[in-house]
Amino acid sequence: MKIVVIKYNAGNIGSVSNALDRLGLECEVTDDPLTIRQADKVIFPGVGEASTTMRYLRESGLDKVIPDLKQPVLGICLGMQLMCKWSEEGDTPALGIFPQKVELFRGSVKVPHMGWNSISFKQDGIFKDIDSGCYVYFVHSYFVEDGVSTLATCDYGIRFSAALHRDNFYAVQFHPEKSGEVGQQILKNFIDL
Amino acid sequence: MIEIIPAIDLMDGKCVRLSGGRFDTMKIYSDDPIDMARNFRDLGFKYLHIVDLDGARTGNPVHTGLLQKIVALGGMKVDFGGGIRSRESFKAVLDAGADRVSIGSLAVTNPHELEEWIMDFGASRVLLGVDVKNEKVAYHGWQSESNIGWQEFIGFWLGKGVDRFFCTDVDRDGAMNGPAVELYQRMMQQFPGIDLVASGGVSGPEDIRQLETAGLKGVIVGKAIYEGKLKASFLAKRIIPCLDIRDGRTVKGVNFIDIRDAGDPVELAVRYAAEGADELVFLDITATIEGRKTFPILVKRIAKVLNIPFTVGGGISTFEDAVVLLEAGADKISLNSAAVKDPEIIDRLAKSFGNQFIVLAIDAREEASWEVYVHGGRIPTGRDLFEWAKEGQERGCGEILFTSMNHDGTKGGFANEALARISNQLTIPVIASGGAGKLEHFRDAFTLGKADAALAASVFHFGEIPIPDLKRYLYNEGITVRIK
Repeated sequence: MKIVVIKYNAGNIGSVSNALDRLGLECEVTDDPLTIRQADKVIFPGVGEASTTMRYLRESGLDKVIPDLKQPVLGICLGMQLMCKWSEEGDTPALGIFPQKVELFRGSVKVPHMGWNSISFKQDGIFKDIDSGCYVYFVHSYFVEDGVSTLATCDYGIRFSAALHRDNFYAVQFHPEKSGEVGQQILKNFIDL
Repeated sequence: MIEIIPAIDLMDGKCVRLSGGRFDTMKIYSDDPIDMARNFRDLGFKYLHIVDLDGARTGNPVHTGLLQKIVALGGMKVDFGGGIRSRESFKAVLDAGADRVSIGSLAVTNPHELEEWIMDFGASRVLLGVDVKNEKVAYHGWQSESNIGWQEFIGFWLGKGVDRFFCTDVDRDGAMNGPAVELYQRMMQQFPGIDLVASGGVSGPEDIRQLETAGLKGVIVGKAIYEGKLKASFLAKRIIPCLDIRDGRTVKGVNFIDIRDAGDPVELAVRYAAEGADELVFLDITATIEGRKTFPILVKRIAKVLNIPFTVGGGISTFEDAVVLLEAGADKISLNSAAVKDPEIIDRLAKSFGNQFIVLAIDAREEASWEVYVHGGRIPTGRDLFEWAKEGQERGCGEILFTSMNHDGTKGGFANEALARISNQLTIPVIASGGAGKLEHFRDAFTLGKADAALAASVFHFGEIPIPDLKRYLYNEGITVRIK
């Protein structure tokens, strides 16, 4: 099993490889297109700002590589947002794997949406052996609207997508690597796909 | 930011909704309005709009008792209306604790009376309803239509000092087919500076966005909240144990029987995570420069084993110090003295890593006013707590960790008043610190103090309050917490 964590210039990617390490799994952190294409599982983590990150992905050619992948791919947080069509953050056209838009939280809620919130889902897949209504850890100011590819939802002033799924592409808005035992199970489920 | 104001319409002591103001369309949503109000409060709503439909029907408010109980929940500004036609009932509603009395029909049918009340009680105690039907003001639960245009109506009452209006486009209320944005825009164009609250027609987040863009101050939402079209949040209140570290070891003795080495921060961290702590904070209080070099190594070890987020702080004095700790695997870093000395450090870190990485830790003491202290609370800065917290947010920190030096170590509870003031003026989360001694103190920090998280050290370390017990207690008190 070859697991690859896509590297890009921003953010704390170490937390994902630490989480895999806790599951007894090794991974390679890389931005090399060939290594990414040949992996069994690809994790696209994310912390940072949308437009800067997209620019980096374009410059490194990863914007073409990621949507073409055929093996299971898991986007996390900003990774999930960049797998959508467009983000309001920096008015950024993104990878378009999912048809949704990414928008800023508005209204009477505090931004960023930070902390443990409960998610609801109906399907197994990456949520196998987990109860709907469980708590996971979020840190984000922008959200993916609820829509066709939505696999799990969360409520924060409005209902938004906590997870997305289409074909071999999975994505979660929360941080499984920081979501306690529940998060570890979700990562394990993805690796077991 | 637009304020979302949930509506509670009362009839026979129940929460109901009417469509188009007609009683035959009534739908019951809850038998327990107080419980409903408590839910709204815990979900973070700051205002509540109560309509006494029985009062509206009989011409005299019926549910001031319920109003009193809802106000007593604390934490929300409540306006109340329905059937207020006499000075006595106006006063009774204020006495029951309403922030404002909402007035509809009377402003049309008996303006002189209302003018007198405004003289006596103040215009700031009135929330004036403008129900518009075909550009005219409607009244009596919209059963009647006046021949007064809304322009004339608003202009007149603005002249009398009324500053806050809520406007319903009668044809749209309860129909969930979009708010009357165009009408509101014309109102604000004609009367710039008017405090306008939209009411009716909201079916989801898209409508809220439109109203916010149009510049409305608030929006009253009923059906959309009750029917789940507009969801409030179940974001859990966080419980955060704080560990002091000196030379790589925990300082305070920790009372877990089954831990071999209570001085090892890594073993402790894992134990707290397993018990249900939502986050951890590690503060390096090492005195020597030599000793400080070991902290990033410890952070790296913690990051490897811990599966919940953690913040590190203490002794971060430069941008580079922060970078080293973030690269070692810390999820957030907390800045204290360094940020006071050079506030620009917040901007720089926020720009490089994002707001969510930066916790601004503020130690403050209340004497004549709340003053910020640095260097472990030894040196006063002359800075005002509330100003500094606000500046921190503007510069880009993602959270405020406020420690009241008056309360720290007393075990007499958190500084709830100051906490609530910070929380209300900011849009970022606030962590309460200093004063935890009993279970109730945590509850109060969340309800009265409006904190998003509560931090404590000794009550956890000495086993006085086991985290699972605390979570269970808070849960039973109706506070949203993560129960494993």
